[in-house]
This record gives sequence, structure tokens and C-alpha cells, in this order.
Amino acid sequence: MSPPDGGEVRVFAQYERDFREQADVVVVGSGPCGAVVCHEIARAGHSVVLLEEGPPFRPDDFEIDAGRSMARTMREAGLRTTRGTIMPTMQAICLGGGSLVNSAICVRPPQFVFDDWSTRFELEQTTREQLDPHFDAVEALVGVGPTPENVQGKRNLLFKQACDALGYDSEPMPRNVVGCRGSGECFTGCRSRAKQSVDISVVPAAIRAGARVLTSVQVQRVLTEGVRATGVEGQVVEPFTGRRGHRFRVDAKVVVLAAGCMATPVLLQKSGDLANRSGQVGRNLQFHPGVAIAGIFPEPLDPQFGATQGYHSLQFLEEGFKLETLWAPAAVLAVRTPGFGYELQDRFAELDSFAVWDAIASCHHSVGTVKARRGSNLDPILTWKFHPDDLPVLVNALWVLARLFFAAGAKKIVSGVQRLPYEMHSLEEAEVLRSGRVRPSDLVFGANHAFCSTRMHGDSGKGVVDELGRCHDYDNLYLADTGIFPRCTAVNPMLTGMALARRQAHAIVDRL
Amino acid sequence: MIGWLLVIVLLAYAVQRLWLGYPRPARACEWLAPREVHFLEAAADALFPSGGAMPISGREADLPRWVDDYLVVLPRSKRTQIRLLLLLFEQATLFFPAPGPLRKRGWRRFSALDAEQRSDVLRAWSRSSLYLRRLVFMALRAVLTMGYLGHPATLRHLRLAPYRIESPITEADVLYPRIGQHPDDNPLTPSDITAPSDGVPIDLDGPLHPDYEEHPL
Ligand SMILES: Cc1cc2nc3c(=O)[nH]c(=O)nc-3n(C[C@H](O)[C@H](O)[C@H](O)COP(=O)(O)OP(=O)(O)OC[C@H]3O[C@@H](n4cnc5c(N)ncnc54)[C@H](O)[C@@H]3O)c2cc1C
Ligand code: SF4
Repeated sequence: MSPPDGGEVRVFAQYERDFREQADVVVVGSGPCGAVVCHEIARAGHSVVLLEEGPPFRPDDFEIDAGRSMARTMREAGLRTTRGTIMPTMQAICLGGGSLVNSAICVRPPQFVFDDWSTRFELEQTTREQLDPHFDAVEALVGVGPTPENVQGKRNLLFKQACDALGYDSEPMPRNVVGCRGSGECFTGCRSRAKQSVDISVVPAAIRAGARVLTSVQVQRVLTEGVRATGVEGQVVEPFTGRRGHRFRVDAKVVVLAAGCMATPVLLQKSGDLANRSGQVGRNLQFHPGVAIAGIFPEPLDPQFGATQGYHSLQFLEEGFKLETLWAPAAVLAVRTPGFGYELQDRFAELDSFAVWDAIASCHHSVGTVKARRGSNLDPILTWKFHPDDLPVLVNALWVLARLFFAAGAKKIVSGVQRLPYEMHSLEEAEVLRSGRVRPSDLVFGANHAFCSTRMHGDSGKGVVDELGRCHDYDNLYLADTGIFPRCTAVNPMLTGMALARRQAHAIVDRL
Repeated sequence: MIGWLLVIVLLAYAVQRLWLGYPRPARACEWLAPREVHFLEAAADALFPSGGAMPISGREADLPRWVDDYLVVLPRSKRTQIRLLLLLFEQATLFFPAPGPLRKRGWRRFSALDAEQRSDVLRAWSRSSLYLRRLVFMALRAVLTMGYLGHPATLRHLRLAPYRIESPITEADVLYPRIGQHPDDNPLTPSDITAPSDGVPIDLDGPLHPDYEEHPL
């Protein structure tokens, strides 16, 4: 298919020699944020090159087997963990970035998040009111809507019933999905092409508007002259093996790094500690650590059917956590089931009566760092320490989840908290969750929402970029991924990243 | 002289312990050495024995084959880490021998222990007061669980096997060839684009994904 106005996509098989490109804007990283920047710049009629290290995936490229799927779509095969407090965290490597493998949850942060951001970080223009038009636009672009009732499945609807019973607010999950069939396999890729991940929504629209999209290219360095960025350079990489080949360079008037919260700081560090007069590059890393409880119900729930994450509750946002339903391949969900032998098999045998609900928490006290390794490997060294002051939020979240499950009629729950009984059969037994016995090291958590590693701040001495994502030290170098969040969003971050990216793209267009 | 003799004896023991006495696996593997296949079979037996609540045992799930396929797609560093994990577990009985009388020789390689001893070893690892030792056990169990719960027979039994889904053809499928293909080899053209997903819920009694269907022997 030959897109109009010079738009094109290039894949690994097409690179036959070293090459050099030129554009008004070069965007590094095709995740939700980078794709939006690219789309807006192309729509405004400027030349733009989007560079992505991973390949584009088609449904026939998806692996259903969870382990092999992660090995193909995730960085470090999905086995990345932080040091300090060991916590798994996943980042994608593919056209579309995290949107290809995520659950498509799209939520605007509440007012109090922006109030906090603007006062603490001197960001006067970053209010909910100012961003709402951008939220409207990106929601329309990727088809955000509530998850329909007929594809919820039992494990999601039970959550709604439980919230109703306890008087908590709940609503069908808003997602960038059109025509969901409830296959519950967002994690390994939506074979129904219902999930509007940016590789099938925003990127094709950008190509139609004239963007050049180069996949399987790894940017290794930002090029600069004085206080201006002049472009980027790197190498072609073979999908999955990561073998490096031809060299390339893209010269541009504006450079936008949207390589994700773990990769952008590494690129800056590898480019001679760029844009780091504030000393904040790679610092302040935050997550939404998630804890989950599995409820086992008296009858099978057919959990294979139902939108991956179909319902949520915003009831406890101000208390620091958000409640959601959750599903993933059995091999991922049960990977930490304790025991072995017949006991372990007995536990697996109950998976068809399982519902899993989780809470993602705003852990403001727990921070970490992103550091580049020596040598040519661009995988970051992540350090993060769970702070005991964040424990009460997670403990409270676990307790609320336990209450929900018993309100929904679960016969028992599995909290995953170490040193506590594996199963709890009643709310009385679950009291142990809030008895003060739970220590930070007992919690089993993971986090795929990561931010703040190149935070924005009105004061150039305290942050890496300004409100429009422009580096304080470099006039034409922008950062556009969740790394620029000054603090966590309390809700799932993708939509906020996209809204900020849209605003930023317009600021870039204004000055081109 | 005695020192040298000791070194030679130790080396000979190390060679015997690390490499010798492993049967040749029934099927050639891309990455796994015979000793790793043998260890994985033993670990699969201990973690997922036959006769339990699941329809197949770890051995029947052919976990060495799954691990070998997995290693193929892993980046080198992760592949090395997993192979070190297998080596560590197989040989760790030297430092953490299986409990029991001396004649049962609990310090033999994990794969050379009898079923009861293997269970004892797993129990000791899973309940160790050393955090790192528990972590190593969890890592081994995680790798094997991914293979076991990814097996079509276990997924069918749990009614968690993926369904057959016909993917609509979108503009993206026309723009991007399959991974590894040249765009010129992408047979799809704009006229192939089909209607998008209709949002009809998947049929719980519908056909399974071809790789997960039960094939009569
Ligand atoms: C399993 C999972 C489920 C999630 N579910 C949700 C959800 O439902 N809702 C939600 O809001 N959030 C969710 N998230 C988080 C969300 O996906 C991320 O916050 C979001 O993708 C971040 O967007 P981004 O553009 O900042 O970065 P990314 O999506 O990480 O994109 C960065 C891109 O840059 C590329 N890149 C990196 N380095 C280079 C380089 N050197 N050269 C070229 N390219 C490079 C990467 O390959 C990647 O494609 C989930 C994440 C995961 C992993
Ligand atoms: S639940 Fe299934 S059909 Fe719905 S968006 Fe996710 S993968 Fe696609």
C-alpha cells in the first residue's frame, strides 16, 4: 500500500545499507506518546520520521504461549526486575510500544492529581481544564469507550456486584477498544483487532498524513551542536535476536525522545549525560505497584471469557489506590502459586473458578533510579526501594479486595502475601491482612506503570523538562513519554501520556 | 605431590558430576544439553507428578521441550541465566543434600535422587530461611509452571484454552508485512481489508485455536 504524501513504513528486510534521513522532526519510540506526537506533526504538514526499535506485529505474528509471547514483545523477554526491592516490571519492544500488550485502560486522572502537580512542581498550565481538550482528542483518536456488558464475563460482573453490595462506585472500564469480543487476551495481542493499539490506529493515520515510520532501528545517541540537538544516530536491529547491522542517522530541526520512561534516560546518559544540568535525569523513578487477590468461587466462572480488565472502581483514589479486575494467561497468573507436587496441582485445578482483582497504588515515598550500563547494551539498571510508609496503602487495598471477594460470594481467597495462610475462607480469617503482621517483604507486587524518570518541573534546577516537554538545557530537544510525569497519576498512565504528548506536539508545530 | 593428586581427584569428580552418566535425550534439542534435559525431567516429575488433580504430569507435558523452545526465543543474557539456574539446582545437593540416612546419598545430583528425596529437596528450598534460596526455587518453579500451564492439555482441562478467532484484515495488515517478510511479499492489498470486529462475544462452545485442539491419536 503506498500512502500519500511520502508517508511510508520500513521494516527490517528493507535495510540494505547504511542510510541517512532528514526531517523537520524526528521522534524516537512509537509507544502511545511517540505515536501521538508523530501523528500531530504529520497532520500539521511537517515532515516527521518515527523511529522504533521493535518490529510491527500482525495477528499471525502473535504467540499465544505466554512465555514465548513475552520473549517476543517485551524487553528482556518480560523478565525485567528492579534491584533493591525486587519487583517485576514490563516494557514492550514493538511498533505501538506498550499499547500492543496492555489492557487498553484509558482513564483521565482526577482533579486532585493536577492540583498536586501544579502546586508541587510549579506547573501552572498543567491543569485538568487545560488538558481536557487534549484528552477529548486522543480519546476520539483511539476510540475510547466503556466496556460493553455483553463481553464482561462473570469474573468482571462479580466485581460490579461486590461494589454494589458494599456501596462502592464502579463502572465498566473505559478502554481504547472497538468491537471487543471478550477473549481476555489483550496481553498476548488482540487477535480480533478490536484493541485500538496505536500501531493499528494512530501510526497508520500518521502514515496517511505523510509520516515516515522506520521500524527495527535502535537509536543509540542524540547528536548535538552547542545547546541544540541536531538529530539521532543508531543501528538497524534484527527482530528478536537484537543483532545490530547497518548504521543510520536522522538529521532534524527538532528531536523528540519518546522511548519510554526506562529508555529515554538511558539515551540521554549515553549521549554524554545530556540535558542533565538539574541532575534529575534517571532519578525520581516511580511506579504504581500492584497487589492482587484471587477469589475462588463455588462454581466455574469460565474466566477465559470476558474483557481482560472490564470493570474498575475509583472509590479509593484519594486514599491512594484504584481497584480493577484483571486477567492474563494462566501461565502468568499462576506463576507464583506456592507449593509443589500434588498440592500445587490442586491449586491449579481451581483456576477455572478463579477471579483476580487488583489494586494499583500511588506509592509516593518509594522511588528509584534508571541508569545506563557500561558498554553498548541499552537495557537500563533499575533500582527501586519500597518505602515502609507506603505499606498502609497496599495493606488497606488488600483488605478492601478481600471484602469485595467475600461480598461477591467467594468461598475463599488467595492473597499471595507471604508468611500468611495461603487461603483465607472468611472475612474473619482475612482480618490478618490488616492486623499489622504484614511486612513490606511479605508483599508480592509487580508494576507496569512507570514514570517520573525525566520529570517536568517549572524550576529548571529541579526537573529535566518544562511543561511542554522541552528540555530546560536544550532548546529543540523534547521528551514525550511517561518519564516526564512529575508524580504518579493515581490512574492508568497511558491516556495522560498521550494527552500531554498532543499538547507538546502542538507547541512544536507552533515553533516550526 | 599430594596437593596435585587432590586437584586431579577433585577435577575428575567435577567432570563426572557435571557431565558424565546422563542418558542421551530421546530428541535432539536446540539449546539444552543432555544433563539439562535429564534435570528438567526430574524437576517436572517432582513439581507436577502423575496421578494428581491435573490431567497430565509434568513429564507428559514434555517440559524440556517447552524450555528448549523458550530458550530459543530468549535474549542471550536471559538464556544464560536460566541455564545457570538449572545447573545450580541440579548440583546444589552438594551444599544442601537431601535429608535422610547416609546410604541414600542425598548429595547426589538432583536428577539422581529418588522421588521422595526430590520432594524433600524442593520442600527445603521452598521453606528455606534464606531469601535468595527461596527466590531460586521460585524462579525454577516459575519457568516450569509457564510451560506446564501453557500446555494444550492442561489448558483444555481448565477450560482456559484460547479460542479460534478469525482476525479481520485492517489497514495495518496491508501496511506491515509479517515479521521477517519484505513488504513486496505481503500479499494483502487495500481491497483485502475486511469489516472490523463486530463485537460478537466469543462462543464458549466454539472451536479452539488449532494449536490447542485435541488431536485424536
Ligand atoms: C502488560 C502491560 C499492561 C498495561 N496496561 C495498561 C493499561 O491498560 N492502561 C494504561 O494506561 N497503561 C497500561 N500499561 C502502561 C502503558 O502501556 C505505558 O504507560 C505506556 O505504554 C507508556 O507509553 P510510552 O509512549 O511512554 O512508552 P512505551 O509504550 O514504552 O513506548 C516506548 C517505545 O520506544 C521504543 N524504544 C525504546 N528505546 C528505543 C531506542 N533506543 N530506539 C528506538 N526505539 C526505542 C520501545 O521499543 C517502545 O516501543 C501497561 C503496561 C504493560 C507492560
Ligand atoms: S478482551 Fe480480547 S477482544 Fe477484547 S480487546 Fe482484549 S484481546 Fe481484544
